Amino acid sequence: MHSTEIHTYLHRFFTENNCEILHENEHYLTVQLTIDMDKRIMNRPFYWRYIESVNEIPNPAQLTLITNMQQLQNGMKGEVIHLGSPRLHQLFRLTKEMGQYVKMYERIADTNERRILTPWVGVNYKVSFTSHQTKEILYSVGINLMTGTVVKEFQETIGMRDLSEQSSEQVFHLPYIITPIRALDRLDTVITQVIEGEDLTWVEEAEKRWRKDQAVLDYFYEGQEPKPECYEMEKQAMEERFKPRITVDVVNGGIFYLK
Amino acid sequence: MFIIILNFWGILIKTYKLVEVIGMLIERSSSWKEGFIQRLENHEPWNNAVLYNMSYEITKNNLITDFTGLQSLAYLPNVKPLPHQIKAAERVIEQMNGKAILADEVGLGKTIEAGLIIKEYLLRGLVKKVLILVPASLVNQWVEELYTKFHIPALLYKKNYELDYVDVVVMSMDTAKRSPHKEKIFAQDYDLIIVDEAHKLKNHQTISYEFVQSLKKKFCLLLTATPIQNDTFELFYLVTLLKQGHLGNYEEFSSVFSAKNRDEERDSYLKELVSQVMVRNRRQDTGVEWSTRKIHTVPITFTDNERQAYIAISNLKQISPLFSDAFSTMTLQREMCSSPDATMVTLKKKLQECKQVEEISYVEDVINQLEKLPIHSKAKKAAELIAQANEKVIIFTEYRMTQLYLSDYLYANGISNVIFNGKLSKSSREWIKHLFKQQAQVLIATESGAEGINLQFCHHVINYDLPWNPMKLEQRIGRVHRLGQEHDVQIYNLAVKETIDDHVVKVLQGKIETFEQVVGELDDILEMKEQSV
Repeated sequence: MHSTEIHTYLHRFFTENNCEILHENEHYLTVQLTIDMDKRIMNRPFYWRYIESVNEIPNPAQLTLITNMQQLQNGMKGEVIHLGSPRLHQLFRLTKEMGQYVKMYERIADTNERRILTPWVGVNYKVSFTSHQTKEILYSVGINLMTGTVVKEFQETIGMRDLSEQSSEQVFHLPYIITPIRALDRLDTVITQVIEGEDLTWVEEAEKRWRKDQAVLDYFYEGQEPKPECYEMEKQAMEERFKPRITVDVVNGGIFYLK
Repeated sequence: MFIIILNFWGILIKTYKLVEVIGMLIERSSSWKEGFIQRLENHEPWNNAVLYNMSYEITKNNLITDFTGLQSLAYLPNVKPLPHQIKAAERVIEQMNGKAILADEVGLGKTIEAGLIIKEYLLRGLVKKVLILVPASLVNQWVEELYTKFHIPALLYKKNYELDYVDVVVMSMDTAKRSPHKEKIFAQDYDLIIVDEAHKLKNHQTISYEFVQSLKKKFCLLLTATPIQNDTFELFYLVTLLKQGHLGNYEEFSSVFSAKNRDEERDSYLKELVSQVMVRNRRQDTGVEWSTRKIHTVPITFTDNERQAYIAISNLKQISPLFSDAFSTMTLQREMCSSPDATMVTLKKKLQECKQVEEISYVEDVINQLEKLPIHSKAKKAAELIAQANEKVIIFTEYRMTQLYLSDYLYANGISNVIFNGKLSKSSREWIKHLFKQQAQVLIATESGAEGINLQFCHHVINYDLPWNPMKLEQRIGRVHRLGQEHDVQIYNLAVKETIDDHVVKVLQGKIETFEQVVGELDDILEMKEQSV
């Protein structure tokens, strides 16, 4: 992420959370936190407990975030934000936490259109391949709750449509034939199949390295019975290091009513 | 044809098996699903759509798309790692499976390499908890570097701290290996163990060694510029600590690689094995313009009086059984080559053990001789060298008494100096370093004081006494000959002619040869007699 992308991100994040941007140019911004946001990111529970117990007027903090230090005159005080800075990652975590579940409707503005929307469940999965190394893949899939049709790259598809959190007026929403919970199970199966189609040579590679290290260790303790504690410990460490694992995490997902 | 079919079936069966295995490998968390159900049943509000889309974008942007390569570089605008440091980190992670000895020459930034590796593992989620064991003097430096350069908040461990909620902790080895701290460590499950100045683990009978041995090492880095100090067995124990069995077991190793029956073929085989678990960059490999080392051997001639005293000391063993073991004579001879004061302290201690009249009178006579000696020839020479250099100089000596002796003598000659040794507290060390940088011309240091301090602003080193161990010399020189040094580094090795000093130089040369045959070339430490043709 470049500094301009980070700047755009910060601006959007605070605006969406009702924090007023007091002043900014393209290299920095100063933001007035809301009480809620202060509690979430400023890490000062004692202040808030005190204020609330004595009914004092709360004074949530202002933050100046600098996204491009080189471009600013000296004297500007604030937190320098870049990819890897703790503050940015705190905000990333918060964004993920606050954007896990949505319900959205496609807008129908044209009066001549058919005023019927079909329900979909869309889920974004992050799949991690882990052994002594890692790789992650993002899959976005959606399933039509009427027909059971599965669509890949679902997020990209809805990105092109005009969606809203409120339904347009006088629109008929088709009822589910497949329940959302059943749909999730179906998507789980789909993801498993997709994973099986990925290049899985890394599993073999990890196991190859594992076997090699195990052989060296066994050789070291050859003839010693029972094996000492440090043998078992090293064996355990080896398993943690090399054992191939695949984790499927849901980034976010929701119900989508689409034309 | 038959073989082709067989191969084909082989592949098919393998693929089939793998898919079956994959099903078992998959782990899913169910927490998202529960939240989803809550919202379907209208128990919780739905989230903001913009944040939903942003969350997807962030995940996509920060995705680890490749098994290999360093993702961490994009996250570290405050460090500009050098090519050899990046290569080292990649090699450790990709080829060595995160278990390695980082053995770059002093001053090439092993800490940066370790930092890169920690950061990469944390980012990839392969490591959550990290334990960093360092000498007490380096604890602060580690915490600070991890924070400022790598944005890794590490806890500086103090007594009574709880470790449950701390992911990265820096501890002094001396604390960590003792109760109750070691029990606290055992109660945690560390993914990555780092030991700085790991040459201190060369002796497998020490508590430190046993302690590190008893830790589970999913990933492990041992940092040392000097993996061999005296002989190849130290390397055997270091490698075994990291990876049991890599160099075979002790009996085999000692039968094949003992000093008596060395040959080149075996040495190169050992070198190859070692290089599988060790990264060693040399200055010249780094692509950085390095200032060079100029080594000067400065021979000193004793005055007649000094020579007489030296001979009297060497004859002590014939006078009294108290001096008959080789070690005590050798110590006294070495001290005599350093300063009369160092010699006298030892002699006076011995005097108290003397019972017989002849013994006592002989020893007293020697002490008398020593007291009458004018200033030591070596000290005079050192003062000359400092005057010639007319710049900042570091003097290393083995003896505390010599340190004081030199300090007085230099002051008397109008040369400002400060003293540095292992007994100083952390804050005084900083203060002395500051004084040396700002005011004093000379820093007089003992070995134990030298570790880990960086003095690139100085480029003259006088080795007033030579240690038995070449790696100590390397560590000394490494204080000034490191990244950031702009001048050629002048090194003066002082040795008194026709004394024990000659022997020390010979032993040093032998050890340097062992190191180079097994680990690799060394930068110059001594002026070698004749470069082997």
